[in-house]
Amino acid sequence: MSQIPADAPSAQTEVLADGSAIVHLAGNWSIRVPLPTIVLKGDRVKLLSTDLGTFDSSLPAWIYTHFKHVRQCDMEALSPRLRALVEMAEKATVSSERPTPSNLLENVGTWSLASASSWGRAFDHIGQTAVSLARTMTGRARVNWSDFSLQLQTVGVDALPIVALLGFLTGLIMAYVGLIQLRQVGATVYVANLVALAMTREMGALMTGVIACGRTSTAFASQLGSMNVSQETDALRSFGINPVEYLAIPRMLAVTLMVPLLAIFATFVGIFGGMIVACAGDLSIEQYLTQAIIAIKFKSFLVGFIKSIAFGFIAAWAGCYRGAVAQRSALGVGDAATSAAVLGITLIVVADALFAVIFNLYNF
Amino acid sequence: MSAAPVLQCEGLTVGHTGQPVMSGIDFTLVAEKILAIVGPSGCGKSTLMRVLGGLDEPMAGRSVLLGLDLAQASITERELILRRSGFLFQGAALFSSLTLRENIELPMREFLPVPDREIRDLAEYKLALVGLADAMDKLPSEISGGMAKRAGIARALALDPAVLFLDEPSAGLDPVTSGKLDELILKLREAFGASIVIVSHEVPSILRTADFCVYLDSDTGRMGAYGPPHSFLQPDAHAKAHAFFSRAKLS
Repeated sequence: MSQIPADAPSAQTEVLADGSAIVHLAGNWSIRVPLPTIVLKGDRVKLLSTDLGTFDSSLPAWIYTHFKHVRQCDMEALSPRLRALVEMAEKATVSSERPTPSNLLENVGTWSLASASSWGRAFDHIGQTAVSLARTMTGRARVNWSDFSLQLQTVGVDALPIVALLGFLTGLIMAYVGLIQLRQVGATVYVANLVALAMTREMGALMTGVIACGRTSTAFASQLGSMNVSQETDALRSFGINPVEYLAIPRMLAVTLMVPLLAIFATFVGIFGGMIVACAGDLSIEQYLTQAIIAIKFKSFLVGFIKSIAFGFIAAWAGCYRGAVAQRSALGVGDAATSAAVLGITLIVVADALFAVIFNLYNF
Repeated sequence: MSAAPVLQCEGLTVGHTGQPVMSGIDFTLVAEKILAIVGPSGCGKSTLMRVLGGLDEPMAGRSVLLGLDLAQASITERELILRRSGFLFQGAALFSSLTLRENIELPMREFLPVPDREIRDLAEYKLALVGLADAMDKLPSEISGGMAKRAGIARALALDPAVLFLDEPSAGLDPVTSGKLDELILKLREAFGASIVIVSHEVPSILRTADFCVYLDSDTGRMGAYGPPHSFLQPDAHAKAHAFFSRAKLS
């Protein structure tokens, strides 16, 4: 090492007549001080270190990153230790390809391909689900039926308290808001019609679907996602067991069966919640119930029931799909759970809108 | 036992997400032989094994397992063949919510038309084979890494496979345990007449167990050499395979 310790690290560039450059390295190089920047032209460089003081990994790192794309870099004049440190990194580099800076066009292309492939995966999973369902119907699939009964318990029975609470509050809120409006026209008795109709046709199914997304889709996504991480799904496949049939189908069937039942439950609890508010104010219990029974037609009951079947299936599918395509990392499983809930709720609301249009068209 | 090929590769290329990793793979493995797949880290050993075992699709070429061309096979044919092969994954991949016994019983319950009691006995026997009879009712989270590997082997043996695929069975194990695992592998071959494919880095264990060895060359992205592992110790062997074997033997 040189015995003249200059202070700050510096690199002076000197361009020779033949176009090659000489870089003079000087000073004490340390990872704790700012390093010099140089602008380099040409592809032949000679490095000199006559006034170089002490250095740590900062100098070899600087040389490596600045000169790795220079075609001809002469390091003969450097100390053997420094040269060895640079050459070690150069040898370890497998590819010296410089990553091209991304431009707008490229970004758009990458994004399009990524979103196209994510749509492709979604359709692929829908297809697999359809095939698996068909195989289950015809009794050719291997379904884990003990998982099915377990899921009936966790998806259905265990959700009763939260469905009861939210259903009750929904009915209560609707009655409260409705009363205020109807009082202005002196038609408070119709609050029973309002709550009963809204709960049967719309809110019972919707609230239960949203709860299923929050509780069940996320659970499925993280269960299947972490099974993916630990290669448990691969282990199933290695026995010739299709993971979609074995894991996803019992879950989907359980949810599609339980959500309609929960929705009916939520509907009645909601109507009860509306009754509390209505009867605390203007109506008698008798009046409320009579009006409610008049309002609920079998048709609107059927509408809510059909919707809840669809919502249950959507919630279960979103969870299973997101779990199946989860990235193999802790972060990936978390993402899968989040996006399962988001995807499920979005699809449920979209489906609800479609149902509204369809039922309206057919005057249902 | 006949000398019919259990595994046959012709011009096979494997890779993932559309990127080829390893190509030019040609070899044949006959029954009751042990094949080791070796090569530097990241050269595609596990990827190759997943293709050989029918878990992933080859990108090009032919891979024939137990007489079935996996690329041409229907899903049903493929599942039938998969049932005749056993897989040990790198992290053992035991079903974390099931006890060891239930892990081994799972494939049996799906595929064996025998009463419950028989399945229980079979599972207990297979766990005893790998020395885990007294850990039967433990969950995978309650056992050590070496025990998980052995339980994974027991599960791979559940359906008496004709071929056993072991992905790094001795990785992360101490020399004594990994030596015991080698003995277990040799015993299983003898007892069940199974062919075994092992992905491994451990040269001493390969020399002890394997009959044939595929060396994958990560620099060229092609199969480097194929032959009995001891032949790689000869100075006239494929240079990189020779370096891999003699270097590891020294250490």
